[in-house]
Amino acid sequence: MSIISIKNLTYQYPTSEEDVLRDISVEFESGKFYAVIGANGAGKTSLCNAIRGFIPHFYNGELQGDVLIEGRDIREWELGELSTKIGYVFQNPFTQISGVKDTVFDEISFGLENLGVEESEIRSRVADIIQLLEIGHLQEKNPFELSGGQKQRVALASIIVMEPEILVIDEPTSQLDPQSTEAIFSIIELMQKKGKTIILVEHKIELIAEYADYIIVMKDGKAVLQGNADDVLSNEQAIELGCALPQYALFGIEMKENGMDLGTIPLTEKKAISAVQHLLEKRRVTS
Amino acid sequence: MNKIQQFIVNLYPTTKFLIVLFLALSAFITPGYIWSYLVLPICMFLAYLAGCFKEFSNLAIKALLLIVLFIFLLQAFFYPGQEILWQWGIFSVKQEGIQFALSLTSKIVAVASSLLLFFRITKVKDLVSSLEKLGLSPKVTFIFLSTLQIIPEMQKSTHVIMDAQKTRGVETEGKLMTRVKAFVPILSPLVLGSIASTEERVLTLESRAFSAKGNKTSLYQVNKTKHDLKVRILLLILFILLIVWRVLS
Amino acid sequence: MKIKRGVKHDFTLIAILLIPIGVAINFVGAQIVNLLKLPVYLDTMGTALTAMIGGPWIGMATGIFSNLVKSLLNPVSLAFTPVQMAVGLTIGLLSMAGMFTKVWKVLVAAVIVSLATTIVASPIQVLMFGGATGNSSDALVATFLASGQQMWTAVFSTKIINELIDKSICLLIAYFIVIKMSPRYLSKLNYGSIFIKKKAS
Repeated sequence: MSIISIKNLTYQYPTSEEDVLRDISVEFESGKFYAVIGANGAGKTSLCNAIRGFIPHFYNGELQGDVLIEGRDIREWELGELSTKIGYVFQNPFTQISGVKDTVFDEISFGLENLGVEESEIRSRVADIIQLLEIGHLQEKNPFELSGGQKQRVALASIIVMEPEILVIDEPTSQLDPQSTEAIFSIIELMQKKGKTIILVEHKIELIAEYADYIIVMKDGKAVLQGNADDVLSNEQAIELGCALPQYALFGIEMKENGMDLGTIPLTEKKAISAVQHLLEKRRVTS
Repeated sequence: MNKIQQFIVNLYPTTKFLIVLFLALSAFITPGYIWSYLVLPICMFLAYLAGCFKEFSNLAIKALLLIVLFIFLLQAFFYPGQEILWQWGIFSVKQEGIQFALSLTSKIVAVASSLLLFFRITKVKDLVSSLEKLGLSPKVTFIFLSTLQIIPEMQKSTHVIMDAQKTRGVETEGKLMTRVKAFVPILSPLVLGSIASTEERVLTLESRAFSAKGNKTSLYQVNKTKHDLKVRILLLILFILLIVWRVLS
Repeated sequence: MKIKRGVKHDFTLIAILLIPIGVAINFVGAQIVNLLKLPVYLDTMGTALTAMIGGPWIGMATGIFSNLVKSLLNPVSLAFTPVQMAVGLTIGLLSMAGMFTKVWKVLVAAVIVSLATTIVASPIQVLMFGGATGNSSDALVATFLASGQQMWTAVFSTKIINELIDKSICLLIAYFIVIKMSPRYLSKLNYGSIFIKKKAS
C-alpha cells in the first residue's frame, strides 16, 4: 500500500487568481526516493505543502481531490500529529531555527521537548544525531551565529531527530555553496539507507540522477511526466517540458542521434564510461 | 566566583523575588523616608556581593536620577503649601512640597532598585523556567525568549541596512527634514523583512511539533538549592518582626 | 471561510510570532530615531503594526511584552504597562473598525489613540510620579504649572500634545508599511483582510 496517495489534487491559494496545483495524482511508496523537478513556479513547493498538510491547514483555501497519508485524509490530520510522521525541511536556512535556543544542542532538542519525550532520552537521541551528522563541532554554538550551510545541517538534524518516516525536503541546497551541498546530500543519502521515504525538490539534476528512484516532472501546476528515474531522465520529452537532463544522458542522446547508439542512455558518469567502453569494444569486434 | 556570590546567584528565582519583595514592602511598612532611601544602598551592597555592582549602579542612575530630580523640582515649586523656604520672583520652594517629594521618591527608589536588583541577579532563562513550573504557558515563555533573541538580531540588521542606504545615497545626517526622510527607508525593509519571515517560521515551528498537544519537556531546569528554604524562613521571620515592631511602635 | 476572532482565536502561531517582532520594532524604531536625532520617540511603532494586522489582543500583548523587556533595564517603566496595553488595544479596535484604510482616517485614529493613552497615562504620572516622567517633556509640565494650571491639567495637556505628534507619525508610518505587505501574508492573519480589499480596489 502507498504511504502517501494523491488523487486528482487541485488547489488554489486564497489570494491567488488561478490554481497552483492541477489534477495531480501520484502514489508514494514507503522507503523510496522521489524527486520533484520543474521550473520555478511549477508548483513544486505547493505540492510539498500539500503533502505536509500546510495546505490546507495553514494556507487555507480549498483543496479538491484527495491527499491521503497512511490512508487517512489530510484534512483530518492535525499539524501537530503530522510532525512525527513527516519531516519538513525547506530552502531558507535563516527561518529554520526556533529562535529561542542558545546552543545547537538545545536547538536540536526543541522538537523532542515539544513532544514531551523524557529528558534522558532526548539527550541520548540528540547526541546520536549530532554524531551521525558529524556536527559535533557546532553543538555548543549559538544557532544564530552559524553560516547558512551549517544552519541547514542543524535544521535537518532537528527534523531527523524526531524520527519521521517520511522526509519532505524542498530545495535544501539552493542557497548553499558546493561544499555545504555535498554535506547535505550525504545526510540525505544516510536517510535513504535508513529506509526513509524521501521526497526531494531539487534543481541539481546530476544529484537526482544519482539518488532518485522515481521522478515527478511538474509544469504549470500539473504533474506532466512521472516514472522511474531511469526512464524519465533518458526521455527526450523531458527536455521539452523544461526539465534539464543530466549531461551524461544528453551525451547518450546526442550519440544516438549521430548514429552511435550506446544501447542505453547513461545517467551518471560511471554508467557513461562503461557504456562508451562497451560501444568501443563492440566496434573493435565488428571491425 | 566566590562563595557568597555563588550563594546569591544560585538561589531559586522565586526566592530571589521574595528577597526583593521584602525590601520593597519594608519601604512601605516603615514610616518616613530614610529607610526607603536606604533600600538603594542595600541593593547596591547585595549587587556588590552578587558581583554586578557596576552594572546595577549604572542602570540605577540611568533609571532613577532624572525622574527623582524632576519630581523634586515639580513638587518643591508647585505643591500647594504655606511654609516657604526660598523665594525668587513668583517661584517659591515650599516645605510641604519637599516633604511630599521625599516620601514619593523614596518609595519609587525603593521599589525600582529592588526590581532592578532582581533582574540583575536572575537570568531571564531561569525566571521563565521557574514560572513555567508554576503553570505559565510555554507560548508565553516562547514569546519572551524569542523577543530577547530577536532584539539584538534586529539591531545588527539595522546597522547593515543603515550602511547600505548610506551607500545608496540616503542622507542620514544634516537638516531635520533630511533625517526624517531617511527614517522610512531604513525602517521599512527591516520591518517587512522580519514580518515576512514569520510565515516560514510557522512552518519551522509546526515541523518541530510546537503545536503538538500534551505536556512538553524542558531540558533546562533551575533547581532549588539547600539554602533556599533557610533564606525563605529568615525572610518570613524578618517580615513578622517588622510587622510586630510597626504595630507596637 | 468565516474567520473566528476574539481572545481565544487570535493567538494563532503566526500571530504569536508577530509579537516578538513588534516588541523588537518598538525598540529598534526608537533606536533609529535616536541615531537620526529626531525630536520624537516613536517607541510604539511595533505595537501599532501588530495591533493593526493582528488585532487588539495581539496588540495588547505586544505592549505588555515591550514594557516587560524595557523594565529589565528600567523598572520605572513597569508602572506604565497599562499605557502600552491601551495603545495596542485601541489601535486593534480601530483597525477592526476600518480606521486604517485611508490617510485621513489614520489621522482621526491618531487623535483617538492619543486621547486613550493620555487618559490612561495621566493618573499614573500624577499619582505615582508626582507629575514627572524623567524626560524632557517634564519641562512642558513645569511651564503649564508656572502659568498657573493645576497638576492634573498640566500633565494632561503636556501628554496630549506629545501624544498627538507621536501617534500621528507613528500610525502614518505603520499604515504605509502595512499597505506594502503582500495579500498572501495578510490573508493568514485574522485582521489582515481589511488591508487586502484596499489593495484590490
